[in-house]
Amino acid sequence: MYWEYFKIAVKNLRVRPLRSWLTILGIVIGIFLVTTLMSLSEGLKNSIMGELQTMGGDLIIVMPGEDMFSGLMGGNDLTNADLNGIERTVGVETVISMPWGSEIVRYKNEAKTVLITGISFDKTMTLLKEDMGWETVEGDFPRTGRREILLGNLVAKSILPGIRVGDEVTIKGKRFYVSGYLRSLGNNQNDSMIMMDLEDYRTVTGKREGAPMTMAKVAPGFDVAEVVKNIEDSLEETRKRRVGEETPSFSVISSDTVSDMVSSIMGILQVAIFAFASIAIIVGGIGVTNTMFTSVNERTKEIGILKAVGAKRSDIVAIFLFESGIIGLIGGVLGVTLGVVASKGTEFVLAQLEQMFYLEAHISISLILFGIAFSFFVGCISGYFPAKKAAMLEPVDALRYE
Amino acid sequence: MTNIIKIENVWKTYDLGKIKLDVLKNISLEINQGDFAIILGPSGSGKSTLLNLISCLDVPTKGSIYFKGKNISEFSEDELAEVRGKDIGFVFQKFNLLPHLTALENVVLPTIFQGKSDKDSIDLAKSILANVGLEKRFNHRPTELSGGENQRVAIARSLINNPEVVVADEPTGNVDSKTGDKIMEILMNLNKKEGKTIIVVTHNNNQTKYGNRIIKIKDGEIVK
Repeated sequence: MYWEYFKIAVKNLRVRPLRSWLTILGIVIGIFLVTTLMSLSEGLKNSIMGELQTMGGDLIIVMPGEDMFSGLMGGNDLTNADLNGIERTVGVETVISMPWGSEIVRYKNEAKTVLITGISFDKTMTLLKEDMGWETVEGDFPRTGRREILLGNLVAKSILPGIRVGDEVTIKGKRFYVSGYLRSLGNNQNDSMIMMDLEDYRTVTGKREGAPMTMAKVAPGFDVAEVVKNIEDSLEETRKRRVGEETPSFSVISSDTVSDMVSSIMGILQVAIFAFASIAIIVGGIGVTNTMFTSVNERTKEIGILKAVGAKRSDIVAIFLFESGIIGLIGGVLGVTLGVVASKGTEFVLAQLEQMFYLEAHISISLILFGIAFSFFVGCISGYFPAKKAAMLEPVDALRYE
Repeated sequence: MTNIIKIENVWKTYDLGKIKLDVLKNISLEINQGDFAIILGPSGSGKSTLLNLISCLDVPTKGSIYFKGKNISEFSEDELAEVRGKDIGFVFQKFNLLPHLTALENVVLPTIFQGKSDKDSIDLAKSILANVGLEKRFNHRPTELSGGENQRVAIARSLINNPEVVVADEPTGNVDSKTGDKIMEILMNLNKKEGKTIIVVTHNNNQTKYGNRIIKIKDGEIVK
């Protein structure tokens, strides 16, 4: 019986195709927004959290600027004096500064812009291997003074395909040799980097001073919060000595705090995104209600005929709910499809730009199912009152309607 | 003969705000099983209102209507819908076919609300359409058919659930007189060969020849 209602509903929708499609479009836009924005924001969250998780909980991040965001936006760097001060702080085992920048790398006949980062491998080898889980698939870590570079997993696989350990590349006119390449570090950005010894980095780039940020590993037996306080004090000291100079502020945050902050900020962001996209869906739903009311008015006589040939109120409600449900369902399927295409497209475009910002759109089955189910639900809810109105029509009055 | 429809002291009053209009005034009447009843009267006499009450499309303001012994004036809208679907077939003056459905689909339509299977209904609809001479018109839409053909589709639709009663409100009103006669003959055959109770509303005196019961109505009252 329901299959018959479904067929009747489809036929009705096809009688006025333009109106049906425009109504569907209203739902498509809302669901498209939800799918795209939710998958991209989830991807953003994952890539940030993934990056944070590669560090352990006993790492402390030091950045110039009031808070972590002004630090990430760039601007002031930490000076060498700052870095040295941090390194001497009680409770700090190692300091790892990784200044970075984009450089053109020439390999054979190819030239690609790749993110280069400088690391003091000699001092931080344990930290990299044990705390951050760095491991080579082939070859070894660069040795100081040998002009060696270490490739991120994606560099070896897709950015400079065919590159082997021992091969030669040219960066800013200087020759470097590939010492090895890494297992994936879990996010595209890190996997697309070329690492070299800090000294080589400073020579190649000419950036002799400082780093945009640094990480300090807490020595065993020290409390993370206590060391955070120590570093803050030590930075204050360092800066006080430089009388007359402008002393920008800085932030010292433990990696756990950063994770918490990021996940709570992203949580709020996602709720906000969902709320705004929901408004679009509600507007689409009102469109469905409007179309259905118009349809009920136009089809008053038809409803009278259906009642005359034995349709009960519940039958009429079912037919109209099927119509609005189908509108919602088609809108949902198209919206989710477009959303997946758009977010994957965004991911693709960002990857093509070969910039430092990598984003993997996170499209989960539950997001897809939710999008479709939600639009179907909105369709049904929107159609309920028009359907009820149709069902309550008196058969004689409806038949008399012209 | 047993009565299939019994009407007792029925009033139908329309409340038009300041004035109350009595369309039917204290009507009492019986229609027996197998009757071919003609309700005859000028326009505005209340004959269509009477037919609507008989066919469960409307309920009386006062009085009782018994359909096969059951007091349908107390029925709910859904109970009335059930009687309409199972026991009554409708033929309207303006055919009232659904314009976007084919002849065959229009005929099958009432079976959907009785939960009958698709295949059987389609076969039955085809044979009924063939019986009214439309075997070549299954897939035509109402706009592609003549008035007479449309009315025959409507008659086929009224028969699909095998009702005991077929009601027709001015069934020849929208067709020429020759076609009208054919329509009336089809209804007469249903009455004679299949024993259906037929109730036809008309203002055309010539059609009284088809009926065995003539009910004349004027100003909401039955004229003796």
